[in-house]
Order: sequence, then C-alpha cells, then structure tokens
Amino acid sequence: MRDNAPIFSFNEARKDIVREVVQRVAERIDDPLSVLSDAIYNEVRRHTASKSGGDALARWRSLARCVPTMSRDELSGEVTKLAEEHAWDVAGNFDPRVYSLATKLMPPVLGALIAPLTTVTSIRRLVDAAALADRITVEGHIARVRKLTQLGTVVYVPTHLSNMDSIVFGYALDRAGLPPATYGAGKNLFTNPVLSFFMHNLGAYKVDRRLRHGLYKEVLKTYSCVLIERGYHSLFFPGGTRSRSGGVERRLKLGLAGTGTQAFARTAIEGSPQLVFFVPATISYLVTLEAETLIEDFLQDAGKHRYIIEDDESSRIEKVASFVSKLLKRDGGVIVRFGEPLDPFGNQVDDQGNSFDNRGHKVDPTSYVRDRNGEIRVDADRDAQYTRELGEAVCKSFLRNTVILATHLVAAAMMNRLRAAIGTSDIFTLLRVRQRETVSLRDLEHDAATLRDALIVMEKRGEIVVGEGIRHASGTAIVDEALRAWSGTHTTPVIESQNGELSVGDAPLLFYYQNRLAGHGVALDVLVPKREPSSRGVPS
Amino acid sequence: MSETRSVAVVGGGLWGRALASAAARTGCDVLLISRRTEDPPPKVRAATAIAEAARARLVLLAVPSAHATSVAAELGPHLDGGHFLVHGVRGLIGDDLRTISEAVRDEMPVRRLGALGGPVLATELADGSPSMMVVGSRYREVREVVIDAFGSNALRVYPTADLIGLEWASALTGCMAIAIGYALGAGLGPGLVAAFTTRAVHEAARVAYAAGGEHATLLDLAGLGDLLAAAGQRDRPEIVLGRCLAEGKSLDEARTAAGERTEAVALLPKLRDWTHAKKVAAPILSTIASSMLEGRPRDRLIHDLMVTPILS
Repeated sequence: MRDNAPIFSFNEARKDIVREVVQRVAERIDDPLSVLSDAIYNEVRRHTASKSGGDALARWRSLARCVPTMSRDELSGEVTKLAEEHAWDVAGNFDPRVYSLATKLMPPVLGALIAPLTTVTSIRRLVDAAALADRITVEGHIARVRKLTQLGTVVYVPTHLSNMDSIVFGYALDRAGLPPATYGAGKNLFTNPVLSFFMHNLGAYKVDRRLRHGLYKEVLKTYSCVLIERGYHSLFFPGGTRSRSGGVERRLKLGLAGTGTQAFARTAIEGSPQLVFFVPATISYLVTLEAETLIEDFLQDAGKHRYIIEDDESSRIEKVASFVSKLLKRDGGVIVRFGEPLDPFGNQVDDQGNSFDNRGHKVDPTSYVRDRNGEIRVDADRDAQYTRELGEAVCKSFLRNTVILATHLVAAAMMNRLRAAIGTSDIFTLLRVRQRETVSLRDLEHDAATLRDALIVMEKRGEIVVGEGIRHASGTAIVDEALRAWSGTHTTPVIESQNGELSVGDAPLLFYYQNRLAGHGVALDVLVPKREPSSRGVPS
Repeated sequence: MSETRSVAVVGGGLWGRALASAAARTGCDVLLISRRTEDPPPKVRAATAIAEAARARLVLLAVPSAHATSVAAELGPHLDGGHFLVHGVRGLIGDDLRTISEAVRDEMPVRRLGALGGPVLATELADGSPSMMVVGSRYREVREVVIDAFGSNALRVYPTADLIGLEWASALTGCMAIAIGYALGAGLGPGLVAAFTTRAVHEAARVAYAAGGEHATLLDLAGLGDLLAAAGQRDRPEIVLGRCLAEGKSLDEARTAAGERTEAVALLPKLRDWTHAKKVAAPILSTIASSMLEGRPRDRLIHDLMVTPILS
C-alpha cells in the first residue's frame, strides 16, 4: 500500500530526524573553531552585502567577538546550536490532506492558483477533476518503479524546466500510483506567492542557496541522507536550477541526490542495507511557462547569469493562470516519463531490486562499498566518484527519454531552414534574423514531417521518444499544433505566419524550443558542455 | 576474495610477467593468469583459468590492446563491485578512440578502475632495477592499493587522479615515438630532434586535453617521461619504424623491420581524423600519419613541419 510510505507519518518523525541530523553533524566536526569561523565569515559577508540583515548581522558580529575566548566545549556547543537551527529550518512539513487534494485534484488546484489566497475549503468547491485527468501524460517504467518503492528508497532525478515541475511531478507520482516523494526546494519558492502553499505542505524541505558555509551544507546533506536511509522516497532536480537554454541537462553533479550512495553504505554497515534506486525522469512541456525569462538569462554575457530568479513568470498570477488554462485545453501538453531505474553505482535494476551490470550479470550492490579489506565502509572520496559516474548514466537516460513534442520539432525544423538560408550556425547571427528571412509554410511542413520520420528511426534505436501527438500527424498538423501552442502563451509569437510565409517572431524563443533536440545531432547544438577548467591554460 | 595484499595479473607476456615479479618482490601473494603455466617468475603462482583472478581484490590487466576488450569480457562475469581493476595497456579503442578503461568498464561490473603508465620498462621492472611508474585512477583507494602492492625502494609509484590524461599519454607516446624515430632517421641534428621532441610533448598535451585529460599529466612522467624513455631505446619498435620511414622504406618494409606489431600504426590515422574533427592543432601527428599512408618524401615532411603556422 502506498499510503504506508513513511512520508505520511513524517510530522511525527520530524523531531527525531532533526535530532539525528544534529547529532551526526556534531559527531563529524573535529575542528569547531574553523567550522564556526567559516559560518561567521560567510554570513557576515552575506548580510553586509545585502544591507538588509541588520539584526542578523549584529548577532554574527557579536558571535565573532566571543569566539576567541571560547573554550572548545563552548565552541562545540555553539556549532551544535547553529546546526540545530539550520536543521529545523530545512525540515519541511507534510500535510496528507493537502497532498490528497493537490494530487488527486491537481489540475483544478492549479487553476485555483489564479486566486492565491484560496483556502483548502474553497479549492474543494472548484473540483471538476474527471475532465482534466488526461492532460498530464505519465509514461515509462512505472510498473517497475512501483515495485521498487516497496523494496527500498526511490530517488527521482528528473530534468528541470519550470517552477511548475515539482507540482507536476508530484501529480505524476500520484497518477502513476506511486507514493509521494519529499523534495528539497529552493527557499525562494517558499516565498513565491503562487507556489508557497504547496511548498509548505507537500513535504518539501527548504534549501537556502544564499547560505554558503560548510556547516549548512553539511546539515543539508545529512538531512537528505537520513531521509533516504529511513525510506523517504525523494525528488531532486539534479541540474540544480531550471535549464536556462531549454535543453536537456548534459552534465550533472547530482548534488544532494548523491547522498543516496552514502545512505546505502551506512545502512549496509548496520547489516540491513536500505536499497536505493535512482529513477531518472524527463518532464516535457509543449510550452514552458518561464521560457522568455530563462532564455534571456541564458543569452546574457557570461558572468551575468542569475542563479536564483525570483521575479519570473511563475510569480505572476495572471501568467500562471493563462498558462494553466492553456495547458489544460490540450492533451499531451505535459509528459512525465520515468526512465530505467538504476542502483547507486549506475547498474540496471530489475523488478525484484536486483542489480545487473552492462552485460546482464547479477551483481551485489554492497560489493561496491567494501574497501580493500572487504569491510563495508563509508568513504566520501569513493562515493563522490560513484556519484559522478551515476550523473553520467542519468544524463544518458535523459537523452534516451527526451520526449519530442510539436513545438520542439517545428522550432528545430525552422532553425535548420534558417541556418541553411543564411549559411551560418553562429547563434548570435541567427538571433538577429527576425523578419528578414521567410520560409514558406509548405516547406516547413515538409521539413517537420521529414524530421519526425528521422526521429522515429532514432526512437527505434532507443535514442529518443517521439510524442504521440506528432507520431502519425501530417506536417501540416504538426506545424499547426506548434503555432497554436505558442500563440498567446508568450508575449510575441515564436513564429509569425502571413499568407503562407513564415518568419521568426521571437528568435530567442525559437532557439529555446529547438534546444530540446540539441543533444541528439539533428538540430543546432551550441550547448555542448564545456570541460572543467584546467589548473593551467591549454598549451599552444 | 582473499586478504589485502593479493594481486592477480592477467596476461603472461613480458609486461605481465614483469608486473607479477614486481608485486611478488614487495611480498604480495601473486597469481599470474596465462596460457602457459611453466616457469613463472619467482614467488609467483601461475594458473590458466581466468576465474581464478577473482580471488584477488586487485586485478591487473596486461594484454595487448587488441585483446583488452575480449579478455575483459571473459573476466567480467567473475568479478564484482568489490574488485579493483588496473590495466597496463597502451592504446585507444575503436574509431571514436575510447580509452581502455572506458572499454573495459562496459564488460564488467567493476567501477574502481585505474591504469599504469610512465617510463618504466618491462625489463627493468622484471629484474628489479630502480624505476618509476604512474598509477592513474579517479578512486583514491585504487591509487593507494597499487602503491601498496608495487611501491618499494626499487620502484617509485606516482599517483594521479587524471586517468584519462594518463591513458591518452600512453597511447600518444607510441605515436610520437614514431615521429622521434623519424627525426633520428632523417639525420636531424640534436637541436632539431630536441625541438621536435618538445613540440611532440606539447602537441600530445593539447590532444589529451581535448579528450578530457589534464595537460600537466602529459608534461610529467606519463607523457614526457614515457617519450624520453622511448627515444632512448634504439630497438624500440616505434623508433625503428619511424627511422625506416625516414630512410625511405615503405610502410610494409618498416613494419617488418620493427618486428613486433606496433599498434601506433593503426592509431595514427584515426588520431589525425579525430584531431581534425575536434579542431585540435596536431601538425606532427597529421604529418607523420600522412607520410605513412602516402609515403611522402623525407624532405617534404620536414618542410611541412617547419612551415606549420606557429600558434601564439
């Protein structure tokens, strides 16, 4: 029974979880002075820069004055106190009543977001769920994932495009008959007037990206690790932030999701390993709510990117409202697809939770956490490497499970036409084309159908997924679908149509939508991940 | 799996036997997996069944690059996630130039992989003369286990986390050794030979960097050290091959003179295509590859290298 999932009794366990987190963090610290100094340094700097943290700044400065005269015990006490504050701040809330409403009635609830002050009781009156049930398609390895939720902790690692993702994904889990997952959401989402209601009540825990000091990061990691050990299915967006380009993530650090490896090793040491299964997933939108803001940020000069965007479309009520109503009018506007589950070491997993290597040989996952003497150990250096390799496996899964919809396909076909016409693949030239270049509607329809056929060939090789809406459609229908989806969603139309001639209305958005295909070799690709910077320059 | 200091070496060639000897010298319990079990090195047990290798935690793969994938496929089913696999194979695999560790990883459940490289010679290793080698692995555990199994007063083992850089260094050294052999055979003076050697190392660093390695790795034992060791061996196959080409012999004649199979010959054209596709300047590799394939006259080749644009 999925209602047995530990998250349903999270609020009772919360105190105990926080206690365990604080205890573990405190045990691991052997130099409280340096930990405290690091926190003071970072916090004083942050509050000085923000100019708004008067009280907090005073508190940190007074602590800084006391530190030199503190005994070791006093320092440890101070660190523990700080860890406890952070742990409570991180710990979320789970309200089963809100969960039940929000998931079973998610589309109308999204609709109800038009009035953000709507209470739970008034949401109930807006319910007319049946007609909307098919708007979000959930597909992929659902049956296997369902079995795995009974055998261990499932860690979902989906692609990330929109602030709607966590809600959409939560709804997809419910639709798939899967228990809810807890997730770490940026603290800014808790202040977003539209989303905060859900964030506060659906088991999200707060991740404050402004806090840069080591102790906070340790608390976060430990919190996430403890939840996974205790069987709380978890959702992480491993890309860290929403994809600015519209492209599928091609390099992942996994961040907090990486604590799944440590959670497995820790429980294995105690003799009862909690199996951990990573489930890569893709979330595909016919149109993305925040596309305009995101692509604009992507195209900023390097160094000017904003890590946290607080004032985008997802915080403007009327934008969300019209977006949602648009989304709900069409089938297949949102597709959540579950990829093949993986163990923490990147191996495939079967329905019984067994791990298999690339050649199909069964392998014992605990063997990976044994050291040179055969002892099961937690080893941060080793686990970081496993996590890095897992990130590569997740990226490959993202590519294989990318679902291509009409907007992606038509944008790619249009961009390919423009590249051929202008004779360049330089993105900055292409972004300036605007109205100058036109493409005949018939040509684009033809190209769209041809590209779709090419994608179907790739799909047979397991390299991509073709959305059902375009699989059997004519070129005319595909282009029509894309133009209708864009129309009214964005400030300016992505492609303008006049007397059978098409021109680019919004080049950055065209770029944004075609980027969904950038990693597959059939569209303009300026998103190739740069390699990690070397310690020195490249030799000449 | 038995205790910490047990090592299995798969491959009974010169290099495999030398590695087995070196590990036995530090007191490891060493098993040599080879088709021939007679006359193993001192204190080394020999066996023919590849499954036996699984009894050691550290497994070394010491076979020619052409067999690396197939031997790994045979070995794979016997290993699990607790094994550490380290190879001493020089080369890159396929047209997409995958490293040996990448190719081997697909064949087995092992994740903790590493490679050996550097200027150590099999003969010196076998008889215990002082020498130095490099172990590369992203996993600290693997680096430590190899240092523990092989390190001694006679063998210094330097660790690096740059596995890709190390593997590319070993493969590129083989190719660059042909160029050095060519320079020697062409009768260039010591100044120009030194110049070509230095530029060859820089070029290799640039190529390895494009493949994801650190260029510092190429400028150290695994690259520069390995290449100087090659240049110092007059009978080394790649040197002989390069020299024969410079003397105007055909590729077939040069191959015959070199004796052993020189894997660098097959690798050079692939490397040239790869650097071209990746837009990495590799004038020495391309010139040598072209001269091998097209039999370009010697003066022409030196001229090509002398007029290559200098990158600032």
